[in-house]
Amino acid sequence: MTVESFLLLVAGGGIAGTIGALLGLGGGVFLVPFLSLVFDLPMHQAVATSILAVIATSSAGAAMNVERRVVNLRLGMVLEISTVIGAILGGITANMLSGQTLSRVFASLLIIVAFLMIWRIRHLRLGHTPPEDGLFPATFKDESTGETIAYASKRVPLVSLIALVAGNISGLLGVGGGIFKVPAMNILAGVPIKAATATSNFMIGVTAAASAFIYFSHGHINPFIACPAVLGVLAGSFLGVNINRRIKGGALTWIFAIVLLAISVRMFTR
Amino acid sequence: MEGEITHHPIERWISRILRFGVWSSATLMVAGLAAAWFSTSSLPLPEENPSPTRVFRDLFNGSLDPVVLMFAGLLMLMLTPFLRVLTAAAGFAAEKDRKFTIISLVIFAMLAGELLYSLR
Repeated sequence: MTVESFLLLVAGGGIAGTIGALLGLGGGVFLVPFLSLVFDLPMHQAVATSILAVIATSSAGAAMNVERRVVNLRLGMVLEISTVIGAILGGITANMLSGQTLSRVFASLLIIVAFLMIWRIRHLRLGHTPPEDGLFPATFKDESTGETIAYASKRVPLVSLIALVAGNISGLLGVGGGIFKVPAMNILAGVPIKAATATSNFMIGVTAAASAFIYFSHGHINPFIACPAVLGVLAGSFLGVNINRRIKGGALTWIFAIVLLAISVRMFTR
Repeated sequence: MEGEITHHPIERWISRILRFGVWSSATLMVAGLAAAWFSTSSLPLPEENPSPTRVFRDLFNGSLDPVVLMFAGLLMLMLTPFLRVLTAAAGFAAEKDRKFTIISLVIFAMLAGELLYSLR
């Protein structure tokens, strides 16, 4: 590996991690196309590397959020049952598909993610389920307002079903699945958006780990690619979290949604 | 104080195990990359990913092989969620929450099953 390749991997991972943190996504939707299109990495290796990056960002973010008690541990553990099942099935399925098929499925996902990113700006729920009206009651202190918010979760079976699908997509395509889980928890279950985002971030590490060893056993992990990319994503995530506090997300979301659509076209046509 | 949030140990334990996992894996990866940088010989990749047992055995035997160090870092990263789930089970058990202790152990069993199946 050349110095230029190494630096490009770290930089690419850093950008993916920063963008992911800015938009409340994992870095996978940007990292997989970067590795596939720029480094011409086989799709399975790109997905495997992204899964490792998702574990890293989830673990780092959750370490802070769990301690601040923003994560709803009990809701997260219940949803992890279905998301882990989905991820294992996704990982097994991915290794039965050709790289080209995987690439096209990923390109299709990018279109869905781009529209979901725009949709959730307009439809995010500001209220929440009162603690006496649902399951897994929890409280957390919103640091931006100083307010302590008490809430519970409704429609948990439906959210579990969505978590199963999200886990399957995660295992198949190397993304975290938060783009599906966060709206499901916020809009369907009535979980406040900050708690939903933190709980999703908490879950996606386990989701990714559920399929990681499947890719490992198939020899898809190249440490010379994975290590710099993962370290770059970690650094980018920390940067993105700090930048996020200072900028408004609306315009950024539109820009990156358009970027994702362009990447999708490129992946379809290669 | 009325309304004060009680800090249960489970959050502290989970946070610490996650930090340990991230920092130890990052340290091993950086060490591996640094060793590869300073290595004067070529560093061929093994034809297949080495087993976790072999990687950690070589590491505990004092191996400074860059590839071993990097794989050890990556494996530590992959095992961090496993440790997190086990820690959650221990935390729920300490809180005498039987239901969630069992849920955590079920999740750990699924993860462990996937790991053993993959590495068979």
